[in-house]
Amino acid sequence: MTQPRQPIDKILEALQERAKELNCLYQVDEQINRPDAPPDDVFRGILEVIPTGYQYPGVCRARLVVDDLVYQGPGFQETAWVQRAEIVVQGIVLGRVEVYYTQAMPRSDEGPFLREERKLIEAIAERIGHHLAQRRLRGAIQGRQAVEGGAGAAPERDWWVIVDFLRHTDRQLLIRLARKMLNHLCLNGVDEAHQLLQRFAPQRESEVQGPQDDNRPVQKKTPEDLLALTDETFRIAARHLQVEDILSRMEGWIKGDKSSFLLEALERPATTLTDVAEAIQRFRFVGVNERDLTRSMQIALRAGLVRRFFSDEQGFVNTAKNYVEVSDFYDLTPRIICPASGHGKLGGKSAGLIVAAKIVQQAREYAELLADLRVPRTWYITSDGVLDFVQYNHLEDVYDRKYLELDQIRREYPHIVQVFKNSHFSPEIAKGLSQCLGDLAGGPIIVRSSSLLEDRMGAAFSGKYKSLFLANLGTPQERLAALQDAIAEVYASIFAPDPIEYRAERGLLDQHEEMGIMIQQVVGTRVGDYFLPAFSGVAFSRNEFRWSARIRRDDGLLRLVPGLGTRAVDRLGDDYPVLVAPGQPGLRVNVSPDEVLRYSPTMVDAINLCTRSFETAPLRQLLRSHGNEYPQITDIVSVVQDDAIREPLHLDFAGDDLVVTFDGLVSRTPFILQMRTLLKLLQDRLGVPVDLEFAHDGRHLYLLQCRAQSSAAETAPALIPADLPRERVLFTANRYVSNGRVPDLTHIVYVDPAAYGRLEDLAALKEVARIVGKLNKRLPRRRFILMGPGRWGSRGDIKLGVAVTYSEINNTAILVEVARKEGHYVPDVSFGTHFFQDLVEASIRYLPLYPDEPENVLNEGFLLESPNLLPQLLPEHADLAGTVRVIDVPRASGGLVLRVLMNGEEDRAAAVLVAP
Amino acid sequence: MAKPFNPHEMAQAQFDHVAGILNLDQPTRDLLRWPLREYQFAIPVRMDDGSARVFRGFRVQHNDARGPSKGGIRFHPQETADTVRALAMWMSWKCAVVDIPLGGGKGGVVCDPHNLSMREQEQICRGWVRQIARDVGPFRDVPAPDVMTSGQHMVWMLDEFETIYGGRYPGFITGKPVNMGGSLGRAEATGFGVVYTVREALKELGMALAETTASVQGFGNVAQYAAKLYAQLGGTVVAVSCWDQADQISYAFRKQDGVNVDALLGITDRFGGIDKKKARDLGYEVLPGDAWLEQDVDILMPNAIEHQITADNVGRIGKGVRLIAEGANGPTTPEADAVIQQRGIFLVPDFLANAGGVTCSYFEQVQSNANFFWEKDDVLDKLDRKMTSAYQAVSCLAQQQKLYMRDAAYVIAVSRVAQACRDRRWV
Repeated sequence: MTQPRQPIDKILEALQERAKELNCLYQVDEQINRPDAPPDDVFRGILEVIPTGYQYPGVCRARLVVDDLVYQGPGFQETAWVQRAEIVVQGIVLGRVEVYYTQAMPRSDEGPFLREERKLIEAIAERIGHHLAQRRLRGAIQGRQAVEGGAGAAPERDWWVIVDFLRHTDRQLLIRLARKMLNHLCLNGVDEAHQLLQRFAPQRESEVQGPQDDNRPVQKKTPEDLLALTDETFRIAARHLQVEDILSRMEGWIKGDKSSFLLEALERPATTLTDVAEAIQRFRFVGVNERDLTRSMQIALRAGLVRRFFSDEQGFVNTAKNYVEVSDFYDLTPRIICPASGHGKLGGKSAGLIVAAKIVQQAREYAELLADLRVPRTWYITSDGVLDFVQYNHLEDVYDRKYLELDQIRREYPHIVQVFKNSHFSPEIAKGLSQCLGDLAGGPIIVRSSSLLEDRMGAAFSGKYKSLFLANLGTPQERLAALQDAIAEVYASIFAPDPIEYRAERGLLDQHEEMGIMIQQVVGTRVGDYFLPAFSGVAFSRNEFRWSARIRRDDGLLRLVPGLGTRAVDRLGDDYPVLVAPGQPGLRVNVSPDEVLRYSPTMVDAINLCTRSFETAPLRQLLRSHGNEYPQITDIVSVVQDDAIREPLHLDFAGDDLVVTFDGLVSRTPFILQMRTLLKLLQDRLGVPVDLEFAHDGRHLYLLQCRAQSSAAETAPALIPADLPRERVLFTANRYVSNGRVPDLTHIVYVDPAAYGRLEDLAALKEVARIVGKLNKRLPRRRFILMGPGRWGSRGDIKLGVAVTYSEINNTAILVEVARKEGHYVPDVSFGTHFFQDLVEASIRYLPLYPDEPENVLNEGFLLESPNLLPQLLPEHADLAGTVRVIDVPRASGGLVLRVLMNGEEDRAAAVLVAP
Repeated sequence: MAKPFNPHEMAQAQFDHVAGILNLDQPTRDLLRWPLREYQFAIPVRMDDGSARVFRGFRVQHNDARGPSKGGIRFHPQETADTVRALAMWMSWKCAVVDIPLGGGKGGVVCDPHNLSMREQEQICRGWVRQIARDVGPFRDVPAPDVMTSGQHMVWMLDEFETIYGGRYPGFITGKPVNMGGSLGRAEATGFGVVYTVREALKELGMALAETTASVQGFGNVAQYAAKLYAQLGGTVVAVSCWDQADQISYAFRKQDGVNVDALLGITDRFGGIDKKKARDLGYEVLPGDAWLEQDVDILMPNAIEHQITADNVGRIGKGVRLIAEGANGPTTPEADAVIQQRGIFLVPDFLANAGGVTCSYFEQVQSNANFFWEKDDVLDKLDRKMTSAYQAVSCLAQQQKLYMRDAAYVIAVSRVAQACRDRRWV
């Protein structure tokens, strides 16, 4: 039942009241939890605190009645305007809490009282009830001890006291405990217990067999019988078990019983997330330490929580339940925004981050190294938030849009975005968003998607949904409006052409996409007019882009950039991140000064606090004016002087020629060691290679995201079928293979290594490079494979490889170097290092071939005998048709295309001719 | 029987052609066709992971009759011996043509720096020196940076040499950073050198530099300084061209009344790429890259890369072009060369025109040996004199012997080396 829409001001006002109520409740708790205070003091304290939670504290008076004792302030008077709640302990009314207004106040939900105040007074009554129950129990034990001769005199009697106490106050609980005790005794093989068990529930021999007996009802026992049985049970227990054992088990079962409401809430599908959150808060105040519960109970609770809040993907639940604790949800649930009757989840991205943070926290052996690691403060909207949004604004028609033709979707998508941005959020969500902004005030925030489909299908989907940065400045209304606008836009991106196309291809179009939202503080500091982190980046625990044979896959890979990490996550057209392998930080991609200069980042992404927008700015300029404010800058840049690059001792921001190298960070800080440790830790614990996003503000390292790496289509290992027909295989490889899959290649450009080596003059050798360049422009982009001798782009010795520049090969899908044995030795291949980072940014794959190894295949017949298109395409270069061969694959193979499958896990690759 | 391309054989063929013009006797030919000394050695290195690995190092000293050998050290995965011999020979001629008292050499280590940490590269540098220390030095053989080596490597090698010999010998190696014994003026040297030869050539052609116009290909180190000096001396640069990294093609930037080099430098990135949009804003016409060649100017200066004036475009050279000065290496193909000769355009060959760099390298060695470092003006002044006299000698010979400038340069170089060998009574 939705409320009529309230303008923002009223919402804000309502929130202030809520804050007061919560505060009041906390203060009541504080009073109750004073360990040594006598009851009178506690109750009087509570009396003083109660009015603060009410709308009109000045005219508010409270009264407590407990066990026929009345507590009230001086000058107290009853009036007609009262709100009451009974204090109940185990079903018995022991007293009541009353709140009076001394004069008439404006009408509200319940007389002059708010609906929320009803909840408050009931919560207070419940607290007091718990408190009383505890006191009684303690009293009973102490009383018993006094009779027996002092505390600790006869501990074995303590549990009898408890049994006694429960017989008078909570028989059902006692019976449950007895039953558990009996089961425990039976499981330990105590014969007497078996016999007793039969009397609890008569066991027929035939029950062991057929199902036909199951429907006969069991004889019901009368209460007296059951109580007698319980006494029997405990007497047997006293005879067979140690006192400590009995005590600890009973403690565990009582606590478990106390907590059972939480487990029930989790396991009952009908409970809404809000109810579960309330159950969690109750659990917190019930005073049970989850570590005291039985192991199975703990795991059941954790698994239930994970399944409810994060994801029900079985693998994830299995892992996460080992790390996440119930207590983690105390602080988490207040920061989850969900629709009133919601069943949504947070989504894998959010969940991944939370679990990763727990793993790090619990890794004692790295405590010192990773002590500094933080997670930015985050709020969450559950995955059904988008469903709620669509429903609330009657946007259901938008679901039909996904069935349209892609072109139409593309055209109409901007309209969808506009409609979404002009729609509104339901009051619950809006309220939650305001609270969120209150908590995240003081700095920019980012709105990210955390979709459930991403989790299931892996992050081939990643980057298809939007992330938006917000400056989070201005009046509260402006900030809220900007936040709602951003979330609406992220929701709209579900209906963008790319994700729809992706889902259509996989038959997932019919499912409603559920998308969770993360609202996260942006890590960074202010530099000039901008807000940005000192540096950030992406870390992979498996390196699929290795530039040297000495780097192994497990050495990992970091992509580092100054400023916001968007420049490390996305492929940039015109700028490069700095690449480092944490396992081998000494082996850099770029070694010579001109390589370092060419492939270093020059732009930063940041939030402009003046224009309140996300911007890309030239770093050099920023440093010129505000270099002194930029944190850790000496670890990030180096100085260029006379073609030499040096780590600076001192920086002249105005005059020096600076280049971003991260040399200082690598060699003089523990950062690389931290990242290496973090990657290994997470990979080990999660059991899969991981991909992390991180940021550093100059003081602390922050983890922003953690997810499984191999789910990205690009770096997923390709499945190579076992029995490939020999005539269809173009080549195989078994060394230095990275994961990847290059489908549907229609052309092959093959520079025959033998013919190249036989060319007679320099001019011809150079001509080959020009030919490759021309073919690069003519052939269909990313549909051809380039194969040639040795080292593409060789600069020193033209005989070692075709001397192309990057622009002459930039349209190929995959670059292959063929290393033939010469005498005893096999030449070094280049790994594409002459333009390595260009290849990475353009996603051009690389593969070396060693055809002379016995297990490998290179179908030279196909390559040399298929019709050569070169004379047709470039008649002016027909004289080199013997060296450069251009093959139209479908024509030469009768309609097939070439597919290159690469599996780095097995270190195997194969290029096969297949049907398109 | 056709043989595959062999760089050394190509260099020898070039030499044979010149030896024929000079009518050298066989012993002299035998001496100069092959290097005087070749060294190959093993360099054992402790890698970062503690394992040992052995690298192969080498040094070829082609000829040192005129003075200590000079030549770069390269790190390259497979250097073929023939390439190194060819390069060493070429260094002998290069030093001789500009008349500096140095011979030719080349060397390096077979390795790929992309596979090595900086620490391992340092070990390799020091190891190289340790193996060959007896045969190099400020008075024997002076290395310099080359492919995949830089000033940092030079400093490590110097440090090792000095440790072995127990003293300070900055003259052992060139290409050092300025604060470690490098020479001032290195940035300007090659570009200025080109313009000195232009200036002298114009004198011969009877043209006043201040009344001429030029078009420059490239806007990297050589082109920038060439354009600067040329404009300083009064000339008008009408167009420059450069490679646009984003668009992956080259553009020419023209201003008929003269480009403002400093203004252009302000909008150029560190790789010599001019910002197209800002250039337009400053009033420059943005034309296709090849347009630099077609300008109606007196002088063309190809200062970018090789293979730029070819049979395809030589016909489009502006009608008024009187002079081409090759700041780059090999910008003109042999076919284009023939056409240029036919048209009577005067050409200053790369060999001579871009010798400013190696001359400055020599100056670094001189200053280092004296342990006294000159001001930049002094360096550039001496450079001027050296380039001028070198040019004049080549030009003189060309006129006397009716040789094409390219041939004349080679002839003078080879003859100087041969003469030194004779003076010593080696042959």
